[in-house]
Amino acid sequence: MDEIVAEFVKRTILKIPMAEMTTILKAWDFLSENQLQTINFRKRKESLVHDLVMLCEEKHASVNDAALLDIIYTQFHQHQKIWDVFQMTKEPGEDIDLFDMKQFKSSFKKILQRALKNVSVTFRDTEENAVWIRIAWGTQYKKPNQYKPTYVVYYSQTPYVFISSSRLRSSIPLLGQALTVASKHHRIVKMDFRSRYLDSLKAIVFKQYNQTFETHNASTPLQERNLELDINMDSRIIHENIIEKDRVQRVTQEIFGAYPQPRLEFAQYKLETKFKSDLNRGILAERKEPLRCLVKFSSPNLLEALKSLAPAGIADAPLSPLLTCIPQKRMNYFKIKDK
Amino acid sequence: MDSYDIPESTSSRLKDHFIGATPLQKRLESVRKLTSFVPPSPQRKIPQCSQLQEDVDPQKVAFLLHKQWTLYSLTPLYKFSYTNLREYSKFLSAFIVAEKQKGLAVEVGEDLNIKVIFSTLLGMKGTQRDPDAFLVQILSKSHLPSENREGKVLWTGWFCCIFGDNLLETVSEDFTCLPLFLANGAETNTALIGTWFQKTFDCHFSPLAINAFNLSWMAAMWTACRMDHYVATTEFLWSVPCGPQSLDIAYAIHSEDAKALWDSVHKAPGEVTQEEVDLFMDCLCSHFHRHFKIHLSATRLVRVSTSVASAHTNGKIKVSLNKSS
Repeated sequence: MDEIVAEFVKRTILKIPMAEMTTILKAWDFLSENQLQTINFRKRKESLVHDLVMLCEEKHASVNDAALLDIIYTQFHQHQKIWDVFQMTKEPGEDIDLFDMKQFKSSFKKILQRALKNVSVTFRDTEENAVWIRIAWGTQYKKPNQYKPTYVVYYSQTPYVFISSSRLRSSIPLLGQALTVASKHHRIVKMDFRSRYLDSLKAIVFKQYNQTFETHNASTPLQERNLELDINMDSRIIHENIIEKDRVQRVTQEIFGAYPQPRLEFAQYKLETKFKSDLNRGILAERKEPLRCLVKFSSPNLLEALKSLAPAGIADAPLSPLLTCIPQKRMNYFKIKDK
Repeated sequence: MDSYDIPESTSSRLKDHFIGATPLQKRLESVRKLTSFVPPSPQRKIPQCSQLQEDVDPQKVAFLLHKQWTLYSLTPLYKFSYTNLREYSKFLSAFIVAEKQKGLAVEVGEDLNIKVIFSTLLGMKGTQRDPDAFLVQILSKSHLPSENREGKVLWTGWFCCIFGDNLLETVSEDFTCLPLFLANGAETNTALIGTWFQKTFDCHFSPLAINAFNLSWMAAMWTACRMDHYVATTEFLWSVPCGPQSLDIAYAIHSEDAKALWDSVHKAPGEVTQEEVDLFMDCLCSHFHRHFKIHLSATRLVRVSTSVASAHTNGKIKVSLNKSS
């Protein structure tokens, strides 16, 4: 192992939290059972890492092996990256070829290597016909930088690709090109959809989030449902309020469903709309220009928080379509202008 | 300074002083204003010409800008004297070094070679009656003679009283009334300084929270400032703490548009009324409601930020300098 590889191996192992060390090393499957048994995992981390690096040295670990470990680490810590969603399209009338994973991988790698002399590409297959790709970028003259890789998760049976957000913007067009050509698509477009939670992005993009949907019988008589509400409700609330509360619950349920919401952390709206207010006539009446606003909603679980607004009385029910369309439109970045 | 009660009457007046002042004075005026950001009772009028514009040395107070200050309210100091500042410097230095050596507030690698300086801040007051503001700084004594003789400033805190007439009337002569304390620097140092002051002058510090009512006044007044050009957007942060998950709503509006909205709302020149502030905020909230159907008024305003200054409900403020050409 040369110095650079050794350093790369060491730094990758060092990232792994002690609690996950054995799990990740087993998933990596590079060091044998026998070798792992010789390690005392109760040691202090620094010396444990040193021992592990020695074992890797014995087995002549390559850059690719270390890169594979890095992929596994990232798979366990997906939320440390921000993921963008891209959609690929085929030309209308193009043949739908049978997808060949081997051919895709080799084609993808070739395209990148032809463009940049120095690039390391590593693949790891996962379930659901998906593949994780790790790309470390270099240039014609510089070796790949292993510490700022881009991760791509491609579900081969779908036109969707998830790419980790990186500062290396210049690499995106090339990456897009490699993906489209290798997967036999025509175009790739970045969707306005971004989150740390890859699972949630997946769930929304593949419309899988209502799989835990319990059949909610919407025709349950009013009285029966009232019994559920009564437990929490103030007995002093009179009939009209009960009806309104029930309506709000029903409308919210219709929009958001009865299942746990997929997890997004934010939604951003760039607004360029004129100021119009029924109550405040005359304010900004002569102004032709719109108000330029930027609104950002943030929450540990945005959709759950939005779901709770109308029942709490903070928002009207139904909630604005600008908010409720997020899962359907698979977007969380919007630009809104007056029509 | 008044306590922070909502005034009974619906309209109060504040003189708008921004006409004819230099940019630095405008920013400092805002600092002065924000310490008296509570709309006063209807009878009270802020004088046209404040001490700030007369006595202040721009160089000396320029360092107050661009820093984040944490606000505390302070009870009157017993037997504090402006003639003893030298002694206070010495005693406080000794106290801090002693406490740090005790290991009570030790950070690894901390330099114990420090010096405390007390100095008066001229001009940071509202009327002549207000006691002078003073400044406390902890400096690290530099080892190298070639470096700045004064050493690096580790911590700054200043005490002031702006338009404290109501309070001054109630306090006896032995007490010095400087109800506002602003600190910038490590929490540990703030705590040490606070302990010494509490022991020496029998006073009490408490963190000053800024409520939503006052934040909206600040937003309106700062938006009202005439600026040569805008550096930052005007931003509001609302928090919805209830429900299964907390939700933060950041609402930024282009500063020119915010100013246009304010100008449309603002009627009488030279004064800012409660109705105007309410209308300004109401317009912003109704614009938001039109798009999102969410009632911002049912949530908690937590932070306001403009090109002039920003303030957070937890008592942290920052006054920015707008470099005008």
